[in-house]
Amino acid sequence: MTQQTFKSAKRRYHRVFWPLIIVYTIVVIGGSFGLKQLDPEPQWLQAVLAIACTAPVIGTLLVMMRYAEETDEYNRMVQLRSFAWGGILTVSAIFTIGFLQLFEVVGSIEVFWFGPLFFIAYGLSTHIIGGRQCS
Amino acid sequence: MLVKNIIRALRAERGWSQAALADHLGVSRQSVNAIETGKYDPSLPLAFAIARLFEKSIEEIFDDETEAQLAAQ
Repeated sequence: MTQQTFKSAKRRYHRVFWPLIIVYTIVVIGGSFGLKQLDPEPQWLQAVLAIACTAPVIGTLLVMMRYAEETDEYNRMVQLRSFAWGGILTVSAIFTIGFLQLFEVVGSIEVFWFGPLFFIAYGLSTHIIGGRQCS
Repeated sequence: MLVKNIIRALRAERGWSQAALADHLGVSRQSVNAIETGKYDPSLPLAFAIARLFEKSIEEIFDDETEAQLAAQ
């Protein structure tokens, strides 16, 4: 792995990551706005929009993983440990809330929020493991 | 295992910045910083690359603290 490869890995990451985030924002805002305008809302259109919102998120995860594979060994360690901590915190939250729901301690909680929770946990882990310079 | 190193001193001798050393080694500046501050122990190939760059043996650059502690006991 050369410095050039490391730098190009970062460039490739940013080149795909930010457009995906922009697409995600446009689809989520545009989709929810569009659905409000449609009356009655066709079920198939709702399904298409829901999947359209998911695609950039999956793409972002794949880009993050590709960056982890292409970057240098230290940054790879930081990225993979952050993925692991993000996963551990998210799955722990899923089980905790799941059992609280099962035992009827809490009401229904939107499954959707576990997605942002993973990204927050991943981001915080990157910050803690790698320090500010890797965030 | 605790591994100390003298990379910061060797780098300073040559007047290199962390970024310059990173360029020579083909890694990020963050990696150089993490290795120098002992936050990260480099892989064997990277340790060899560092040793080759500074024209020293790995043992001259990296000091295995655990071995020293065991020897002292």
